[in-house]
Amino acid sequence: MNAIEIRNLSKSFRGMYALDGLNMTVPVGAIYGFIGENGSGKSTTEKLICGHLVPNGGSIKLFGRDYRDAGVRARVGALIENAGCFPNSSVWDNLMMQALNLGLENTNEEIERVLKIVRMEDNARLKFKKCSLGMKQRIGIAMALLGDPALLILDEPINGLDTDGMRIMREILVDITENYGCTVLISSHILGELEKIATHYGIIRQGKMVQEISAREMEGRCRVFISLKTKDMMKTMGILKAAYGNVRVEDGYIRVYDVEQPEEIVELLLGHGIAVREIKKNRIGLEEYYVELMSGKEGR
Amino acid sequence: MRQSKELQFEKPSFRKRLKGMLGVDFYRLFHTPMFYIFVAIAAIIPAMILTMMSTGDSGTQMYTNTWQIIAAEQPLYAVSNMGEYANMNMVYIFGGIMVSIFIGHDYRSGYVKQLFTTHAKKRDYMMSKTIVCAFTMACMCLSYLAASIIAGFIAGTPFTVNVGSLLIAILSKIILSLGWASLYTFLNVILRRYFGVAIAASFAIGTGLPILAVGMILGNSAGSFLNIFLYGASVYACLSSTFMTLIVCLAVSVAWALTYNILGSLILSKSDVY
Repeated sequence: MNAIEIRNLSKSFRGMYALDGLNMTVPVGAIYGFIGENGSGKSTTEKLICGHLVPNGGSIKLFGRDYRDAGVRARVGALIENAGCFPNSSVWDNLMMQALNLGLENTNEEIERVLKIVRMEDNARLKFKKCSLGMKQRIGIAMALLGDPALLILDEPINGLDTDGMRIMREILVDITENYGCTVLISSHILGELEKIATHYGIIRQGKMVQEISAREMEGRCRVFISLKTKDMMKTMGILKAAYGNVRVEDGYIRVYDVEQPEEIVELLLGHGIAVREIKKNRIGLEEYYVELMSGKEGR
Repeated sequence: MRQSKELQFEKPSFRKRLKGMLGVDFYRLFHTPMFYIFVAIAAIIPAMILTMMSTGDSGTQMYTNTWQIIAAEQPLYAVSNMGEYANMNMVYIFGGIMVSIFIGHDYRSGYVKQLFTTHAKKRDYMMSKTIVCAFTMACMCLSYLAASIIAGFIAGTPFTVNVGSLLIAILSKIILSLGWASLYTFLNVILRRYFGVAIAASFAIGTGLPILAVGMILGNSAGSFLNIFLYGASVYACLSSTFMTLIVCLAVSVAWALTYNILGSLILSKSDVY
């Protein structure tokens, strides 16, 4: 069974299609990194899953049920765009309202539990409007975590945070994803952070799914390359191009793709009397993979 | 992939869903100043009007009896002075503003996202808001009543009245809070993207201007027709009320509450939440 199964989903705003026949599959238990540029349709998809928007066509199933099913929706937690809290109410009151909304029984214990997860237990009495952006995002996550959600939808939870805020948020996300066992759909522009936690990726462009791939598959697809610097870069390029098919210059380094052993290259260059100044083995990360895919350069 | 938690999706009953939504709304109502401010406003207004308008020479004296600030002597759809207009029906005007603020904050804060993420049924929202706002308006009616009595004593206006008719009038006006609350909830759901317009519209409708205009044209004899509307029924609940008045007000209030709730739920389920 899949946690989210979207088929041929479309949504338009004033005649402009934000989603155009989107298909998406999120397996149960996955941490699904939802990637795409601004306006690609990530937030629209998430809002549709949460029932905030009405689709023009297509179907959304959550855990095998229609997304409008009250039973399944009662176990969806979401942080869409912002925390959605009353600014003049305290953190505690906002969480209490959400706990009441969910019909939880042990409200105080539940609130204390989620506050501890997001490390806000000392700020419970603070008015929401007095909280920093990082704290507000953490409160939003606490709201989403109330009531034992089976599916957590987090829309750009890291964006706009300072370095410290981002570190705390990353630790919280790792904690949630490792210890709370719910399926997580998380969209973010900060791919380096996403790469650390995601088990699956969905890449969306102009309202269509470009690719869905598991982290393991992506690792297989992400090409290995050797980057190096020599004294005579021009001559080196000529030698390497003759020996290997895929050689490029990027960021001041020569990149030789699909070569596993740096020693091989060092020996080749030494044979031509070229000393290697710097050499290292790399693997294309999510960010580069995404950039290549978006620019149509993806290749093995 | 990680081990996912056991998946059980128990469908929450209507009662549980409504209880949850009501829990949120009542908690918010009692934990924010808005409720207390509006209850206080409901008390201040009759006190001010009664003390100001029942003093002075006979030419400016608009209230000869304390209970006239609660309801007019007769159902007057075409009013000729402020005294005939200004009574407990004014609670509905301020009630409209209160509903606009209450619902407007749901949208402006973004809290509505939390509500609609976990509540798939849009009627939960309509019903809960209607009930909570009706409760607040009923409290405002009681506050208005208490302040009117105190102001009557202070101003020294007489308290002579047919007690039965008075009680029916008060009870009818409290019952009509339900209909008014549903109207305002509906109006604010329709105008959810335009907070200022929603407040202005609530105020305009709460003043009963459309009904008063028709009353001016058709005269007070049009009462039986106008009574099917909320403002008409509110005017009908006067100091000469009979048991029939209570029945009419109850029927009108419930009928409009149902109509607006069904329409509001339909609109919410067929359109984007925000």
